[in-house]
Amino acid sequence: MDVVNPTPSITVRYPGTLREYVRGVSKLQVAATDVRSALDLLERDHPELYRNICDETGKVRQHLNVFVNSEHVRELSGLDTKLAPGDVLTILPAVSGG
Amino acid sequence: MAERVILSIGTKKGMFVAEAAKTRRKFELRGPFGQGVPVYSALTDTRNSPNIFFSSCNPFFGMKVMRSTDLGKTFKETKSAPAFPKEDGRALANIWSIETGAAKKELLAGVEPASLFRSRDNGDTWEMVEGISNHEHARKWQPGNGGLCMHTIIRDGSRVHLGISTGGHYMSEDGGETFHASNSGVGAGFNPDPYPEFGQCVHKIARHDDAPGRLYMQNHGGWGEWDGPGGRRPDIGVLRSDDHGKTWHSIAKGLPSDFGFPIVVHPHDPDVVYVMPLEGMTRTCPGGAPAVWRSETAGGTWHKLNKGLPRKSSYFTVQRDGMDVDTLKSPALYFGTTTGQLWMGREGGEEWECVFDSLPPIHCVKATVV
Repeated sequence: MDVVNPTPSITVRYPGTLREYVRGVSKLQVAATDVRSALDLLERDHPELYRNICDETGKVRQHLNVFVNSEHVRELSGLDTKLAPGDVLTILPAVSGG
Repeated sequence: MAERVILSIGTKKGMFVAEAAKTRRKFELRGPFGQGVPVYSALTDTRNSPNIFFSSCNPFFGMKVMRSTDLGKTFKETKSAPAFPKEDGRALANIWSIETGAAKKELLAGVEPASLFRSRDNGDTWEMVEGISNHEHARKWQPGNGGLCMHTIIRDGSRVHLGISTGGHYMSEDGGETFHASNSGVGAGFNPDPYPEFGQCVHKIARHDDAPGRLYMQNHGGWGEWDGPGGRRPDIGVLRSDDHGKTWHSIAKGLPSDFGFPIVVHPHDPDVVYVMPLEGMTRTCPGGAPAVWRSETAGGTWHKLNKGLPRKSSYFTVQRDGMDVDTLKSPALYFGTTTGQLWMGREGGEEWECVFDSLPPIHCVKATVV
């Protein structure tokens, strides 16, 4: 099975290395109206995945980027960015390292 | 099974495990484990069947604690890693030390920002130890160059000693419930008061069961030529306590530099102690010629050990957990360098050979005989 949650509206996608925290599924669907509430739902329903995305204070980890469709949320309204049915929330590692 | 030497090697690009027969003629290398991210702490817990733990400092997805039950052939993430309570406001930045606790499945972890966590189930769940993590000094500690880290955890009966950079030495005398700063004689070069109550940049602390009350400390030295406020502070870098860490005094006389990171005690002789002096400004080997220095008199006199080590052009650093000693009858000393070399000094450091010469930069080395 590749999709969970019977009442989807927003698709959440994340790197393959995080699938082990959601029983191998490649994407999730959540009923959320903004990015913050989408993350809150991940915290409630998928806490192991959430811990990889946000730290204990609730901040998105420093080296991760969050996109709504193809726009980075920092170019929108950050975690308050509104979501519409059918939007795709994508979480990706930043290009950083050494 | 015959005795085996296990080296847990934490690097900038993951964890390696090296295994050899007790002759130590050839080490088999396994790894890297942990998605190629930095590893600052490792522990081989031999209280029951051996478990190897390491902390994986994943800059993307946060801290993980990894556990192996097959001597480092495979590792699996534990069910959780230390994490501050949500309302605390602090976020875990690194795990700098993992040590065994008092109870059978108890582990302790020293983290950044400097705090202590306890697991009672072999690393699957963790709770913050309030007595030090919320100590009245905790919000006044400052990060050193490596971050605000709790890097040393030493248990001695009901006493627990902690090393914090920069916070100093803290001790508990009630099994780890409450802690107090205990830095009498521990100098600080970067503070107007050369001997503050707390805030010293302690680099590492070591002890031996056969010398009750004695502790050795590698402190942040290198202030012998300081001509700024407060004046020169020579020889504050290598210290000893003979009263369970209540007071400290210098044992740095005779060393080429009192700056360094690791300090290690011989497994069978509490009077034998090893340091790796580095130049204070560059944190590299003095004159480009690395040497471990050994005292056989608990710091009274020091002797250079460099047979087999490069005599020039070697400017690496050995970090605070980058040196260890195994426990065989004639023990070998090991150190890993920021240039990725793993050196072994047979007969307690008398003769050195390079075991691996091209690993990623090495953060920690732990030697265990199983």
